[in-house]
Amino acid sequence: MEPLLDVKGLKTYFFTEAGIVKAVDGVDFKVEKDETVGLVGESGSGKTVTSLSIMRIVPQPGRILAGSIMFEGEDLLAKSEDEMRKIRGAKIAMTFQDPTTSLNPLYTIGSQLAEVIREHNKDLSKKQVTEQVIKLLEMVRISEPELRIKAYPHELSGGMKQRIAIARALACGPSLLFADEPTTNLDVTVQAQVLSLLKDLRQKEKMSLVMITHDMGIVAEVTQRVQVLYAGMVAEVADTRSLFKKPSHPYTEALLQAVPRIDQRKDLKVIPGNIPNLIDPPSGCRFHPRCPYAQEICTKKVPPLEVTDNGHLVACHFWRNLSLAGA
Amino acid sequence: MRIFKKTKQKTTNKQETTTTQRRGASQWAVGWRRFKRNKAGLAGLFIVLFYIFIALTSQWLAPYPPRSYLPLYQGEAGQPPSWKHPFGTSKAGLDVFSEVLHGARGDLYVGVGATAVSVLIGLVIGAIAGYLRGGAGDFILMITQVFYTIPLLPLILLFARVFMILVAQGFGLTLILLLLGFFGWSTISFVVRGEILRIRELEFVKASQALGASRWRIIFHHIVPNTLTPVIITASLLIAGNILTEVVISFLGFGDANTSTWGITIQEGITYMRTEWWTPVFPGLATLFAVLGFNLLGDGLSDALNPRLRD
Amino acid sequence: MANLTIYVIRRLLFMIPVFLGVSILTFIISNAAGDPIALIRQGLRSVSPEVLEALKAYYHVNEPLHIRYLYWLWDLLHFNLGRSLSGSPVINIITPLILPTLMLQIPSIILAVAIGVPIGIYSALHQYSKKDVSITTIALFGYSMPTFWLGLMMIIVFSLYLGWFPSGGAAGITKIWWGSEFADRIAHLIMPLSVLTYVQFATFVRLMRGNMLQILREDYILAARSCGLKERTVIYKHALRNAITPIVTILGLGFGSSLAGAPGLETAFNWPGLGYKFVQATFSLDIPLIVGITVIITIMLMIANIITDLFYGLIDPRVRLG
Repeated sequence: MEPLLDVKGLKTYFFTEAGIVKAVDGVDFKVEKDETVGLVGESGSGKTVTSLSIMRIVPQPGRILAGSIMFEGEDLLAKSEDEMRKIRGAKIAMTFQDPTTSLNPLYTIGSQLAEVIREHNKDLSKKQVTEQVIKLLEMVRISEPELRIKAYPHELSGGMKQRIAIARALACGPSLLFADEPTTNLDVTVQAQVLSLLKDLRQKEKMSLVMITHDMGIVAEVTQRVQVLYAGMVAEVADTRSLFKKPSHPYTEALLQAVPRIDQRKDLKVIPGNIPNLIDPPSGCRFHPRCPYAQEICTKKVPPLEVTDNGHLVACHFWRNLSLAGA
Repeated sequence: MRIFKKTKQKTTNKQETTTTQRRGASQWAVGWRRFKRNKAGLAGLFIVLFYIFIALTSQWLAPYPPRSYLPLYQGEAGQPPSWKHPFGTSKAGLDVFSEVLHGARGDLYVGVGATAVSVLIGLVIGAIAGYLRGGAGDFILMITQVFYTIPLLPLILLFARVFMILVAQGFGLTLILLLLGFFGWSTISFVVRGEILRIRELEFVKASQALGASRWRIIFHHIVPNTLTPVIITASLLIAGNILTEVVISFLGFGDANTSTWGITIQEGITYMRTEWWTPVFPGLATLFAVLGFNLLGDGLSDALNPRLRD
Repeated sequence: MANLTIYVIRRLLFMIPVFLGVSILTFIISNAAGDPIALIRQGLRSVSPEVLEALKAYYHVNEPLHIRYLYWLWDLLHFNLGRSLSGSPVINIITPLILPTLMLQIPSIILAVAIGVPIGIYSALHQYSKKDVSITTIALFGYSMPTFWLGLMMIIVFSLYLGWFPSGGAAGITKIWWGSEFADRIAHLIMPLSVLTYVQFATFVRLMRGNMLQILREDYILAARSCGLKERTVIYKHALRNAITPIVTILGLGFGSSLAGAPGLETAFNWPGLGYKFVQATFSLDIPLIVGITVIITIMLMIANIITDLFYGLIDPRVRLG
C-alpha cells in the first residue's frame, strides 16, 4: 500500500542577511495511513520547517529548493497556491508550539473556529457552522462550549488554548495532523491531558499524526515509529520499540540518555555542545563535532542512509561496529 | 555505559546567562557587522560624523566669526549666493554660510548635551521605577507618565523666557540645553524600566540575588550594562528631536540672541524672505539633514542591535 | 465590560496627576521672581495700575506660597483664569482662539491617518520594493522636517513667488478666491493644513509599516495560513486588525505632540490660534494669559487621551486591569 505522505529529498533553505541557512537539507519522510510518527530532534534540527514545507507555508525568507512531496498520490509541490489552500486545514492540518501566540488575540475562539469551517464548507448555514463549532469544542473536551465560543484567547488557560488550537486543526477532519511540540509550553498535569486527547482523537478520527517533539518520553508514549533529525538531515528512522531498545545512531543514543528515569538511579547525560550553525554546517557527518565515536572519515564523508539488520534506517559510518545503549 | 563526561544539568539556563552577560565584545561585534550591511544606517552615521566634524571645526572653516555683521560694513548685505558668500548674506549683513557652520556647533551642543542630561536622569529614574515594587515604583512611573503626556514645547518656551530674563543672560544656549534635558527624560526612563523588568526575571540576576548580592550592586553591575543598547538607540532618536525643538525655540526668539543657531538665522530671514529666500532656506536644510542623520542612525542601530527584532 | 469600565476610570484618574503636574510647573515658573506680579514687572509691557491691583488680588500675593497655590488652583478648576495684562479676562481672549487651532489639528490628524495607514500597509506588503523605498524615504523626510520651516518654504514658493495662496492668517480682507468668504477661508487653510498633515502622515506610515511587518511574523498568521484561509483573509482580517490597534493609542499622543508644536507652525503662518497667541503672550510676559493657554492646551490634550483610551478599550478585548 502506498504511504499517505511520502517526502523525498526535501531541501528548504532560508536566505537571510547573514547567509543561507540550510534548515532542511535533503530529508526523506514517510507517514503511513493511521499511524503516529515522532519527528524528533533538538530545536533547530529542522522538524518544524519540515512540516511547514509539507504544508507549503514556509515563512520569508525561506524557500523550498528541491524534493518531492507526494500526498495521497499527488505531488504537493506541483499544485497551484489555490489548490494547496484547499488542502491546508482540510486534509493536512497543524498545531503550533505556543498556544498563546497561535490564536489571534482579537477574535473570539468561536469566530476563529467558524472561519475555518466556513472556508472549507461554503454552503453551510450560520446555524450549522455554530453547531459544528460546539461539536468540535466538545470533542476536545471543553466544558460549557456554548459559553466558551464567546471567549477571547486571553481569557483561557494555556491547556484550553492548546485544545482550541487542536479543535481548529481538526475542524475539517484532516487525514494528517502535525502537532508541533503540543505540550512544551504547558504545565505537567495539563501535558498528560493534551497527550491523551491527541491519542484518542487520532484513533477516533482515523487520521495520521506526526508528533514533533524533542521529548523522548512523549515519543515512547504516543508513537509507533520515530524519525530522528539532526541539523536538517535524517539521522535515524525506526520502530519506536526497536529504537528505544537498540538505537543505531550515536545521536539517538545521546537523546535517549538525556531522558530522566525514575526507575534507575543514574546521572543524566547531557549532549555536549550545541546544534551547529546551519549557515556553515560541519563537513562530513554533521554530528561529528559532538559525537564521542567520531573518526577521521566522519569529518570528510557524509554518511549514506543504510538499512540495518533490525530494520532501522541510519546515517552513520559505524553503525555496524557500535553497540549503543538504549533507554 | 558511560560515554559522555559528567556535565551538570543546566544547559538552557546557562545559555541564557552567557548570552546576556556576553553582550560585551561579541554582541557589539555582531551588531557592527549587521549595522554595516544597513545602507540607511551607514548613511546616517556618515551624516552625523560630518556634522560633528563641522561643529568641531566651524571656527576655522567659517569665513566670518559667529553673529558677525561684517558683510554689512563691506557693503555686501542682502546678496544672493555667490563664490564669496556661498549661501548669500542676510539683509542685516550676516554671512549665511558662516552662520550655518557655527549653527552646527550650537545646535549639536544643545541636541547632544540635552540628550546626555536626559539619559542621566532617565537612567536613574527608570532604574528605580523598574526595581522598586509597590507604591514607590508606581509613583515614580506616574511621574514619568506625566512628563510624557504634558505639552512640553509651551512649557519649555515659558521656562526659557522667564529664566532668560531673571538669571541666564549670557549663557542662554546652556539654559536651553538644561531645559530640554530636564523635560525630555521620560522616554529614556520608560525604556530603562522596561528592560529592567525583563532582565530581572532572567536567571543570572535571580542567581546573584540568591547569592546575596546587594540591590544596588545588581542594578549597576548587571542591569545597567544590559540596558545600554536600547538606551543608545533611544538617545540617537532623542538627539534628533532635541535639535528640532531647539530650532523651533530659537526661531520663535526664545533662544540665545548672541549665539549662532539655525533657528535664529531662519528667524532673521523671514521678514525679507520674499526677496531673500536664501537666508531661511539654508539653515533649514542644515536642520533637516542633521535630524535625518540622527534618525537614520537611530533606526539603523535599532535594526542592528535589537535582538528581539532579529529573524 | 466591567474590566473596561475599571480601565477607563483608571485612565481618567491618571489625568489628575497630569493636570496637577502642569499646574505645579506653571505655578513654579510664574513665581520664579518671588510672585507673579514681580515677574510681570520685569516684562516690557506697561500695565495699568487698576489691572495690577486686580492681579494682586487674583494671585493673593500677600499669602504664603502654598496657600497661594491652593487659591490659584481653586480658581483654575472654576475656569477663573484671571485678567490678561491688557485688562480683558483671559477666558474671553482664549475662547475665540480654540476653533482656529482645532481647525488645523483635527482635520490634519484625520487626513494623516486616512492616508498614512493604507500607504503604510501597502509599503509593508511590498517590503523593499521600489515603491516601498520611495514611501519610506518620503516618510523619513517628513518626520525629520522642522514643521514651521516647511511652512515658510511653502509660503516662499506658493504665496510669494507663484501667488496661489495667501501667505498667512486665517482670513483675508480681500477675498482672493472669487470673492467668496468660504473659499477664502479654505485658501488660507490649505497650506498650513498640508504641512501639518504631511508631518503627521510620516509618523503614521512609519508606525503602520513597522507594526504590519512585525505582525506578519506572528504565529497566528502562520496558523491562519495553515488552516487554508485565503491570503486576503489572513492579511486584511487577521494581520490588519492587530496592526491597526496600536495606532489608536498613538492617535492621542500624536494629537498631543502636534498641539504642543502649534506655537511654531501657527507663528510661521500668522495663524490666529492658541499657539500664535502663546508666543506673543510669552514675549510680553503676560503670565495670566500664558498660564491660561497652557491650561487649555493641557485640557484639550487630556480629552484627546481619554477619547483614545475609550476607543482602544473598545477595540482591544485584552484591555483590563494592569
